[in-house]
Amino acid sequence: MKRDQFTLFVAPSVIIMVLLMVLPLATAIILGFHRLTFTNINNPEFVGLQNYIEVLTDSRFWNAMGFTLIYTAVTVPLHIVLGLAVALLLDQVKYLRGFYIAGALLPFIVTPVVGTLMFRLTFERGGLYTYLLSELLDSRVNFFLDGTTVTFLVLFHGVWYITPFAMIVLFAGLQTLPKDPLEAAKVDGATWLQRMRHVILPHLRSLFLFIALISIMDAYRVFDSIFVLTKQNPIYGVETIMYYNYEVALSFQRLGKANAMSVLTVIGIFVVLIPFLYITYRQQTETT
Amino acid sequence: MEAQRKNPVAMIAINAVLILWLVYSVTPFLWTMLNSLKTPREANSRIPVFPFDPTGDNYAELWLNNVPDNLPVLGFILLLIIIGLIGVGLLAPRFPIPRVATYSGIVAVGGIVVLVIPSLVNTAEFYDYFINSVIVTVGTVVISITIGCLAGYGLARYRGIIGVVILFAALAFRALPRMAFVLPYYYLGQAVGLYDTHLLLILTLVAVNQPFTVWMLRSFFMDIPHEVEEAAMIDGCTRLQAFTRVIIPIMWPGIITTALFTLLLAYNEFLLARILMQSNWTLPVALSSYTGGEDASQLTLAAAGSVSITLPIVFVIIFFQKYLVKGLAFGAVKG
Repeated sequence: MKRDQFTLFVAPSVIIMVLLMVLPLATAIILGFHRLTFTNINNPEFVGLQNYIEVLTDSRFWNAMGFTLIYTAVTVPLHIVLGLAVALLLDQVKYLRGFYIAGALLPFIVTPVVGTLMFRLTFERGGLYTYLLSELLDSRVNFFLDGTTVTFLVLFHGVWYITPFAMIVLFAGLQTLPKDPLEAAKVDGATWLQRMRHVILPHLRSLFLFIALISIMDAYRVFDSIFVLTKQNPIYGVETIMYYNYEVALSFQRLGKANAMSVLTVIGIFVVLIPFLYITYRQQTETT
Repeated sequence: MEAQRKNPVAMIAINAVLILWLVYSVTPFLWTMLNSLKTPREANSRIPVFPFDPTGDNYAELWLNNVPDNLPVLGFILLLIIIGLIGVGLLAPRFPIPRVATYSGIVAVGGIVVLVIPSLVNTAEFYDYFINSVIVTVGTVVISITIGCLAGYGLARYRGIIGVVILFAALAFRALPRMAFVLPYYYLGQAVGLYDTHLLLILTLVAVNQPFTVWMLRSFFMDIPHEVEEAAMIDGCTRLQAFTRVIIPIMWPGIITTALFTLLLAYNEFLLARILMQSNWTLPVALSSYTGGEDASQLTLAAAGSVSITLPIVFVIIFFQKYLVKGLAFGAVKG
């Protein structure tokens, strides 16, 4: 394809992306240097780095950052392991496969706010899990008692919500597994564990990378589940970067500070993702 | 591995674990469905009330301001129309007219039905939010897929370095947190007077979704051999004609897959809609207003709302599972 034709084809998409992604990002950077609230929304006051200093010395910001890291460190590895286990089982069955997949996908496909609310309803005062656990422990259980139990709910929900993604990707990967090495390994008397370690896992390696990349990006911007599970109640002290950012912008109405925080978040996510992006870039330049 | 005999005990164990996994996945959905049919008092009881008399009051309160006498008749007619439209949609590939025409027709008829309903029954606010969701979702899918197809095709066929740069930049955008865009949109939207309009939310969703759309459509276009449009161009088509008349008709599986994910993204979006819409709420924002307090009567309403919002998605999973799995796995096959 010629250069000018290419330009015509990609122009609408690139214009939208520049206009609605590059421009807002530039605006965020500029607004981050200004004191901006709803009272002076038309004439922001330039304050230099003050917003950034304020964010970096804000203990609630670091608390949210810590929680975001815990959330990522717990949900990302756990959901990959669980997803792999379910994918391996799915690979073994032929009947009812579509039925299992449909049910297992539901938590991931459903509207996150709705899914989280449904999840929460089972842990409410009249909820099913509350009842079962109360019977088991023979005492009253309240999942919305304090930060610890709510943290547990948020992490549990994170795994419940994201596991289907790893499951389906790894399941698709298992369908493309070449049969010959596996048969050869079996003939040579390799145990299940050995086949797993030397044939199946190496085949899925690039997928683990792909899943980790996507799920880290998503764990970094968890918002909906915090909004619903904490009932927007700050007493639990459970919040992610995104959620605190939202609070600063809309509850405290500090738009300048919120933008500074967004910019810092963007820098942070890129530091985390540079190795992943580099690998993807190398793969793309190799194949084309 | 189909040739070998399977140990029946192992198969039973595997199926048992998978059923357990299924139960774990869908328990919240079933529990909420039960709650949506209970009275607030029953739903809030510490010991689950079972069996109970199912009631439709929560749904009626959510959707209607007052309940007309002929509701069962109207509901039945609506159900018939929905089944009819789904049937036509599934049969679209077999009709002698272009699929775009069939799908546009379905959207048009559906739109008319949605607009006529409020003149027949006294609908509540939730119905208006439902209409907002429909407008935003349809708008986002149409714009996003149109420009995404053009860009995806260009990127699949162009070999220059700029193509790689654009793709890479798009991937970087995919990584950015929504918050980095939404506050400037909020600020700029108020400056140009687009705040609280469908248009701003649609354009925002298109932009946020564009990196994903472009990557996915490009990978589908890459699967179509060059010879297809080269033959058409030798026969006298221009590049654009070859694209619209030859490439697009064989791209339908890819377009449907990408459109499904765009649809889910637009329908499910909460944060952008919450910040950019003040009165024109979409369904997730409307539902979130029931999620704050401890008021027991709100819980059953929230449950009814949750089930209402989830039903279309259950339809999507049932009818389009093949495309969904393919779309989710496309990273798997492409590596």
